[in-house]
Amino acid sequence: MKDKIKLALCQISSKRENKAANLQKIEELTKRAKQKGAALAIFPEMSLTGYVLHDQVYELAEPITGSSVQQMENLAKKTKMHIIFGMPELCENTKATIYNTSVIIGPRGLIGKYRKMYLPTHSVFEEKRYFRSGHEPAVFQTDLGNIGLTICYDVFFPEVFRLSRLKGAQLLVCISASPAVRRSYFEILTAARALENTAYLAYVNLSGVEDGLQFWGGSRLLSPTGDVLAKGKYDEEDFVLCEVDYTDLRTAEAFIPTLRDLRAELFEKLKQYSELL
Amino acid sequence: MKLTPNVLDMDFSTVEKRVCRFIKEYVEKAGAQGIVLGLSGGVDSATAAALSSKAIGGKNVLALMLPEKETFKRKDIEDAQTIADQFQLETQTIDMTDVLKSFYQRIPAFDPVDRLCKGNIKARTRMILLYFYANKQNRIVCGTSDKSETMMGYFTKWGDAAADIAPIIDLYKLQVRKLACHLGISEELALKPSTPALWPNQLAESELEINYETLDLILYGLERFMKSKEIANQLDLDLTIVDKIKKRWISNEHKRRMPLPAKLGFRTVGNDFRLPRHTY
Repeated sequence: MKDKIKLALCQISSKRENKAANLQKIEELTKRAKQKGAALAIFPEMSLTGYVLHDQVYELAEPITGSSVQQMENLAKKTKMHIIFGMPELCENTKATIYNTSVIIGPRGLIGKYRKMYLPTHSVFEEKRYFRSGHEPAVFQTDLGNIGLTICYDVFFPEVFRLSRLKGAQLLVCISASPAVRRSYFEILTAARALENTAYLAYVNLSGVEDGLQFWGGSRLLSPTGDVLAKGKYDEEDFVLCEVDYTDLRTAEAFIPTLRDLRAELFEKLKQYSELL
Repeated sequence: MKLTPNVLDMDFSTVEKRVCRFIKEYVEKAGAQGIVLGLSGGVDSATAAALSSKAIGGKNVLALMLPEKETFKRKDIEDAQTIADQFQLETQTIDMTDVLKSFYQRIPAFDPVDRLCKGNIKARTRMILLYFYANKQNRIVCGTSDKSETMMGYFTKWGDAAADIAPIIDLYKLQVRKLACHLGISEELALKPSTPALWPNQLAESELEINYETLDLILYGLERFMKSKEIANQLDLDLTIVDKIKKRWISNEHKRRMPLPAKLGFRTVGNDFRLPRHTY
């Protein structure tokens, strides 16, 4: 594994319900990322289909073995790139059980997937109406380091990121479809999740407007001490190249020893009190 | 949370940018040739017109000026024309007097003393004219309702609330006034007392029986899930005033929705049939 890897934060506006157009855009940007020396291209939550789908999600969801993932696998093989993107994933064993999923693909094909654990169902969000919650954090050992996948609203729940970190994640990747009125929360929380876990955090948000809902972009790479190392434009599409240097993890862990100071007994209490809430 | 006037402060540059993007994106995705809106000479329509102009260019925005004899005020027409000139809008003036007269004469149950029924005919006639131009010229109708009047149900069902987009519907009246100034609209027009112009000398604040400075803070508190008592205490108001506003807000929800559907099928229009507005 290399100490340093170059990432491309591909802050796109997805064309809603138009997988072909979105796949084409993903392909173009992945090739561009490759040309610029990046090894990993990251796309937003539900970038395959757009985010505001309502009942159309039943038509657009496809299994992880479906044609879109196959197309992405071919792209990753051809370009020798790693790609992370979001899609509505149809569960293989059912006809209409869908997950909000982040998929990671490498030059040798599918590496894995993460099914969003925290589904926002308040304000303008109606994810529980359509999606089943995931049950497991997901961390994958890759040629680019240990990568932990998370999605959007998960960022409000430190335990998701902590679990990923404890499972070995060095780079936390949070793909997102966050509307503009929530920008300040995400700017605070992404930095907090990176800092408290002393891990890199790549946050990639949608841009553009879907059904009047405006996504704020602002994708970023946070250092293990919570510093913004690179940042995309607000509100519009952007392509941001940045670099992760894993040697910084040791420095950060030593300087802010949150992992050393973890107290497992508190997690028992957390569980206990959560059940009483 | 402290309910002080500054809770209504916003970064109006960001608001302008977001609303303009919202308008531009919708017009493009709808495949429309432009926008049509009613320009009354009041702050709401002036602000919606200014934003539309900034979003898609004034030449693509048709402002209808729709005077009628009973509520005619030269000052309103002058103010509307000032906005049209300032933001380089296309304009069309249609005197509604004869159209309205025909309506009145041909409705057997028409009662000139019943000003609400009569006034609502005016609001709905304006809507008909706006949608005529929308159909004829492939435009979308830009609504000009603000959050204060919409929450209060202070509008005509299928009249002034009928539109394809509502760019300022999430801004309270005081915020619209500030946005208007930010957009370069004169302070005189921005602070002009609001009227739906359904009958002579009609004033919004008199009819609502509260000034916007107080109303907007009450509504802001309700929006933020505050309880009536807490709002009344903070604003030093009688609880009955806040409760009255709250009741009016809730009881007017029917005006803000599609017709109540009788649920019979699997998925029902206006209920659990949930589809995106447009497929692109």
